[in-house]
Amino acid sequence: MKRLGLLMGLCLTVLFSAPSAAFAAQEIKPFVRGSYQQIIAARQGMPFIVSFWSLTCSYCMVELTMLKKLAKKYPKLDLVLVSTDTPEEEKLVAATLEKISPRNAEAWLFADSYADRLRFEVDKRWQGELPRTYFFGAKNEVKAYSGKLEREEVEQWIKEQYAP
Amino acid sequence: MSNLAIALLVAAAVTACPALAVDHASHGKPGAPASTAAPADREKAWQEILAKPSLAVSADFDEKGRLWLAAIRGQHIYVSYSDDRGASQSAPVKVNAEPENILGDGENRPKIIVRKGVVYVSYTQGLAKPMTGDIRFSRSADDGKSFSAPLTVNDNHEIISHRFDSMTVNDKGHVYVVWLDKRDLSAAQKAGKKYSGAAIYYAMSDDGGGSFHGNVKIADYVCECCRTAMAVDTDGYPVVIWRHIYETNIRDHALVKLDGKMSPVRLSQENWDIAACPHHGPSLSIASDGIYHATWFSNAPEHHGLFYAHSADRGKTFSNPLNFGNFEAQPAHPYVLGLGNRVYLVWKEFDGERTSILGMLSNDGGKSWSAPRKLAATSDVSDNPLLIGENNRAYLSWNTKNEGYRLVEIGAEIK
Repeated sequence: MKRLGLLMGLCLTVLFSAPSAAFAAQEIKPFVRGSYQQIIAARQGMPFIVSFWSLTCSYCMVELTMLKKLAKKYPKLDLVLVSTDTPEEEKLVAATLEKISPRNAEAWLFADSYADRLRFEVDKRWQGELPRTYFFGAKNEVKAYSGKLEREEVEQWIKEQYAP
Repeated sequence: MSNLAIALLVAAAVTACPALAVDHASHGKPGAPASTAAPADREKAWQEILAKPSLAVSADFDEKGRLWLAAIRGQHIYVSYSDDRGASQSAPVKVNAEPENILGDGENRPKIIVRKGVVYVSYTQGLAKPMTGDIRFSRSADDGKSFSAPLTVNDNHEIISHRFDSMTVNDKGHVYVVWLDKRDLSAAQKAGKKYSGAAIYYAMSDDGGGSFHGNVKIADYVCECCRTAMAVDTDGYPVVIWRHIYETNIRDHALVKLDGKMSPVRLSQENWDIAACPHHGPSLSIASDGIYHATWFSNAPEHHGLFYAHSADRGKTFSNPLNFGNFEAQPAHPYVLGLGNRVYLVWKEFDGERTSILGMLSNDGGKSWSAPRKLAATSDVSDNPLLIGENNRAYLSWNTKNEGYRLVEIGAEIK
């Protein structure tokens, strides 16, 4: 199971890393209980970033725009974007992602009206402040960060993690 | 690559924050989805989500012990009352006759105060663009049978953010409304200047809410999306607290008394350096002995969780903050009420399956506290907890999706 997840993760990474001229509407997966573990399990031993954002968070928009530029510059960057909005807002989430999300990012949307449960699974110490970003290093080291990130710092992390 | 490198990265980000983090709209860069220039489809979708149902219920007791409730249903605020502590309620009366988008998500909620037979209601009306709003006010002088046509309190009428209202009414019937306002950010944008966060404004009515005097700015550079809090001091002047932006991005709390003399002072010192708004504002209560009681949330690396402090010198200095709540259970949205020398705190916690409201009590003006005790719980979404007082009794006021509205007397069982 774990190996399958790893394989799928690899496939996804390759798939989404490939530059595609014709971009179809981005798939948004429902983020439910267990999704976070699924995201992590699919990427064992590989560096990736999980960024939580919301339509009501203006700092998130700035961060997404910045991440989009970095994803373009570093096609290997494995970026997972999780919107903490609701399924009712999917249209707006999709429109926002289409505009400012990196195209090789994996998109999820909170799909449990009792969002506390989802947040608790991610991090007991996260009270919902956004943007909330988790850096998963290749050696499984994890760092959590609340607030808008600076491009230089994210870029430095990418360079270190994806060094040839 | 190494733990150290990431630690350094995070540390650098926390301590340095080189760029002034301003609301994205202040940059005015093309390509950025500025809230002031959202495309029509985004605005339309925004309108649709503004109609989301809200669990926000606000409550107050009048002098006769009648419980008054304000809730949102559809595009209207409804006010009802109860003479049996919420067990049965009167038929709800519509406040705004014309439908409006009334904000009741996150920390937004309508406010209700009932004094000397007058029912006062303030709320934020969501406007056409994302994250914009107007501050609205209505009152009833006939025991809640009918309400005046709502008036807009903010005298700036751009489609920008005027949100997160708080309201108080003093013994003279003067009504104070305070809110967060982005008019200064808007002006700075137009002039191509940077502006961090929002400003905080207030307006006062000395004719019982018939009309308001001009808007007065309290402070610039305020955290954009946290609820404000206000309470009336024993001399009749209101005291306001809010999450401020100190230096570049330190999001700690400030306090000022609106007596025309006091300048804002810093209330909390956690030094939470965050380029974001945590949507998590403070609460304030002033007891009959003139002691200020404040509670707030911080997630600074060294000082995180919920905090409480009191001031015996009208806000000039505060006690060493008490850090409370279980930090492994997402303690959130604390609320404080001082009744004489008894002080009550309630807050939310989540254990992975259930949301609980915890409470604790001080019998000595906030100097020492009982152990926390669970007052109520639910297994689905819920409103933030509030405290209201009546005749020296304190009640938890809480609405949940599953159980509905609950009023729980607290005090006697917490010892």
